[in-house]
Amino acid sequence: MAATMLESVSPKAETMTVASLARDWSERAPKQVAMREKDFGIWHEYTWAKTWDLIETAAHGLLASGIQVGDRVAIHSEDRPEWVILDLAAVALRGVAVGLYPTNPTAEVEYLVSDCSPRVFFAEDQEQADKVLAVDPTISSCIERIIYVEPRGFGDYRDQRLIFWDDFLALGRAHREANPGAVAELMAAAQPDDIMTLVYTSGTTGPPKGAMLTNTNAGFAMQKIVSEPERFPDRRVPGPDDLIVTYLPLCHVAERIFSTWTLCISGASLNFAESIDTVTINLREIQPTVFFAVPRIWERLHASVFIRGNDASPFKKLFFRLGLALASRIGAAKVANGGEHTAKSRLLAMIGEPLVFRAMRERLGLRRCRYSASGAAAIAPEVLQFFMGIGVPVFELYGMTENSAVATCNMAGRLKLGTVGEPYAGIGLRLDPENNEIQTKHDGVFKGYWNKPEQTAETFTEDGWLMTGDVGEWVDGTHIKIVDRIKHIIITSGGKNISPSEIENSLKTSVFVKEAMVVGDGRKFLSALIGIELETVGNWALRNNIPYTTYRDLSEKPEVIELVQSVVNETNEKFARVENIREFRLLPKELDHEDGELTATQKIKRSSMMDMFGELVESMYA
Amino acid sequence: MAFNRPMLRTSYQEDTAIFPTYFQKGAASLFFVVLILLGLGAPIVSSIPSFFLGSTWINPITNMLPLAIAALGINILVGVTGQVSLGHAFFMGVGAYTAVALGGNGDEWQACVPFHQELGLLEQEGQCGLGLPIWIWLPFSGIGAALAGIIVAPAAVKVRGLYLAIVTVGLVFIGLHLGRMLPSIAGDFESGRKWPKLDFRLWKEETPLVSFTEDGKWFGLIHLTEEQKQYFLLIMILGAFMLFAKNLVRSRTGRALQAIRDRDIAAEVMGVPEFNYKRLGFAISSFYAGIGGALWASYNGRMAPVNWSLFLSVDFIAILLIGGAGTVAGTILGTIFVELTPEVVKTFTEWLGEQTASNGPVAWLANILLTEGSGDFGPISTGTVALGWPMSVFYWNLVIYGVLIIAFLIFEPMGLYGIWVKVRNYWKRWPFSY
Repeated sequence: MAATMLESVSPKAETMTVASLARDWSERAPKQVAMREKDFGIWHEYTWAKTWDLIETAAHGLLASGIQVGDRVAIHSEDRPEWVILDLAAVALRGVAVGLYPTNPTAEVEYLVSDCSPRVFFAEDQEQADKVLAVDPTISSCIERIIYVEPRGFGDYRDQRLIFWDDFLALGRAHREANPGAVAELMAAAQPDDIMTLVYTSGTTGPPKGAMLTNTNAGFAMQKIVSEPERFPDRRVPGPDDLIVTYLPLCHVAERIFSTWTLCISGASLNFAESIDTVTINLREIQPTVFFAVPRIWERLHASVFIRGNDASPFKKLFFRLGLALASRIGAAKVANGGEHTAKSRLLAMIGEPLVFRAMRERLGLRRCRYSASGAAAIAPEVLQFFMGIGVPVFELYGMTENSAVATCNMAGRLKLGTVGEPYAGIGLRLDPENNEIQTKHDGVFKGYWNKPEQTAETFTEDGWLMTGDVGEWVDGTHIKIVDRIKHIIITSGGKNISPSEIENSLKTSVFVKEAMVVGDGRKFLSALIGIELETVGNWALRNNIPYTTYRDLSEKPEVIELVQSVVNETNEKFARVENIREFRLLPKELDHEDGELTATQKIKRSSMMDMFGELVESMYA
Repeated sequence: MAFNRPMLRTSYQEDTAIFPTYFQKGAASLFFVVLILLGLGAPIVSSIPSFFLGSTWINPITNMLPLAIAALGINILVGVTGQVSLGHAFFMGVGAYTAVALGGNGDEWQACVPFHQELGLLEQEGQCGLGLPIWIWLPFSGIGAALAGIIVAPAAVKVRGLYLAIVTVGLVFIGLHLGRMLPSIAGDFESGRKWPKLDFRLWKEETPLVSFTEDGKWFGLIHLTEEQKQYFLLIMILGAFMLFAKNLVRSRTGRALQAIRDRDIAAEVMGVPEFNYKRLGFAISSFYAGIGGALWASYNGRMAPVNWSLFLSVDFIAILLIGGAGTVAGTILGTIFVELTPEVVKTFTEWLGEQTASNGPVAWLANILLTEGSGDFGPISTGTVALGWPMSVFYWNLVIYGVLIIAFLIFEPMGLYGIWVKVRNYWKRWPFSY
């Protein structure tokens, strides 16, 4: 098979796609491990040979299901090898892979199906299949096959479109027998301009929009983000020896780049966490060398260190405190030195490493981590500094779906804390002189929103630059600092421009605060809606003999309000007087995607928050 | 894992490996080397046991090895399958008498006891003993005991917990009674009879192929004493049985046994045939007991039926409680502790006696502790048998035993192994506590 492919296609004439990269790995290193998946306590390995065989079989299966060039394949699933296999199979056929968040409720699934009208729908289990089967038949009539991979619960489902993954692969095998080389032909015909995926934006303001990314976009992102040596300590780009833990939704552009695309371009192996709840355990097992996390995860890791450290036995606590003291010195020294060790910090690290840091990183699963990144939202600098202090090289970067996440990045040795780094070499990035909006222009900039030409036009300037919607400012002329989303900037009735994100992130550095939303647009002063972290506040209440029943009950306790007040006071000290939070209210419920308060990426939907908790807000200004 | 990630297991083989990490492999090999060096009497290594046990340290250690095999057996029954049994001494006896019946010398006849004559038990000519070589009597001692276990199992399976303990105590008394009633096998009740030596013969030839009971060169290479040879032989047999015990626990059978231990009804609901596995537990445990009993008797040369008494069974319960039930390492630790502590106490008392005699630097301590003759009031009597106060070393050992068992039950139910687990977890979780 491989031989005929090489004969019929001259590699140079072929467009590079993620699928062609995967095929090349299977020829170059068939026995190398591409993916691992934990099942019944064992990490099952997928070699490149096996992975490519599955991709090709799945591609034939898609052909047998009637997929044509440009047809959409929707994937509604938690991260698992089948996600990657189907994604790459779709790309191999010049089809378009569309990812749905596993948390998407039926209503959003209906919207997405109507928006991109997929021909094949992958619903991992009964839960996801129920959602798509509940979609209005007139809308879901475009779907010709619904593939499921977890057969449990499908016993009495009679929908003719349902097909079990193994049967789907059998279909593919039969098709491959009958039409050998069909996939290779399509791969050879791939165009740089082919749309390879639709990545739906999180939709904080309106319904999600499907950003069309092409093979060129993907190639550019891989080249800039994965293969740029300046980003990595010792200029070591990811390679086959690296391990990645895949746990964030693959439909998000960041996880897609750090998992699937990194796998394809560098050969680093993907290790699928069993679920978001087991990530901590899986991290410890895998000890990834390259790690990407969103701020929420970094904050959680950070909080867990402090909670567990303070709960430790007295002797251990002594060492824990010593470790923290060392970490803060080392972190500060590194921050001042572009992220690199100074002679002094190296000496301190030599003390801290055997006593605390190595063990601490091992517990977190970051002992072997040689590069890690934070992105997709703003993070409090204290958190990053802490991780740098204990020896996890972490770099903040910035990008968005519409520019394939290629914008700015902190380079190794040139890190500036509090900024999102410098623009990648050779890309167009400018600040709009009028409102300081960041604008980019390069090969990673997307083709447009699916079926939404007006909105596409709205995101581009007249001279063809992508408007990111983020306000930035230059730091020392080289680095960019993100102020906030343009739409989030608060203008108080006093006429002062305030960026709420910074204040919110400062609040969220407290282990007791899970959500924070600063309000005050057109008001006399700033106020905040704060959601407490049930686990930590509950623990705190328990230790202080405060009985409580529910989340709501807990957040109404005067002692808890007092506790949060102290957090707010701490934050207020860091900011100017006009940026101080004068009033706050605790949210009576935990925010949830299903209830429409959060997006699938756990970002707060401000408009619906105002609808839901408007009275609470008004009560602060009464 | 090839790239040093011990928790990343890619197969069930890796997951259930006896020594999953390089560290454990290294520690095990180091332990093995130390055992060999000990046997060879290497200078630094053997100074430790000789400090605690005196210059003849190899004897108590070798004597302990067959008991360790039997202890592994009781661990399989009590620790792994959860069936509390006090009948282990009985199964050891069955094994030992099978060995002597097959391998013992039938011509040797002891001075008879009037009691036996009265009952007319001595009408047979001499004792039975076929004089067969070790490769026959040793396996059959295990098989014989296992058969006894299988026969007993149906009765034992019907009862649980305390009742099972009582039933098995009954076995010990039946065993003692049989020992009294069958002098042709057991010999005299008080003085017993001679066991076959630890020699390897192909058949009944005069000179053994490999002798473990004579000093001499082995394979023309190393000169070893009788004690050293027996030490090596028993260490090897014990090693094989440890390996088997470890393997059993991680096998399907082992998991079934543990399921029964954790909740027999739940296990049956999950498809584990309770009766079959309990019987199998008894059989394997008894096999170990039989082998251990046969080797122990053979090493000691002469055994009386009274040796297979309830005290021996209680010893094994102490081993499990102090060592830590359910683990091979704990069982071995327990055996070492329970079997060697009396020896250490004895060595210590002897040393104290020497101190008084030679007026050494701690003679004052010896004066306080020891009682020599009347008028002296130390707590330890140096007389051989002394009931009441001051107590002899033998009774002190019993007191220490009792206190230790109570202390372990209260403070460390997982035994010595539990202490090790605690220490290990303390560092495993560093710098956190969970």
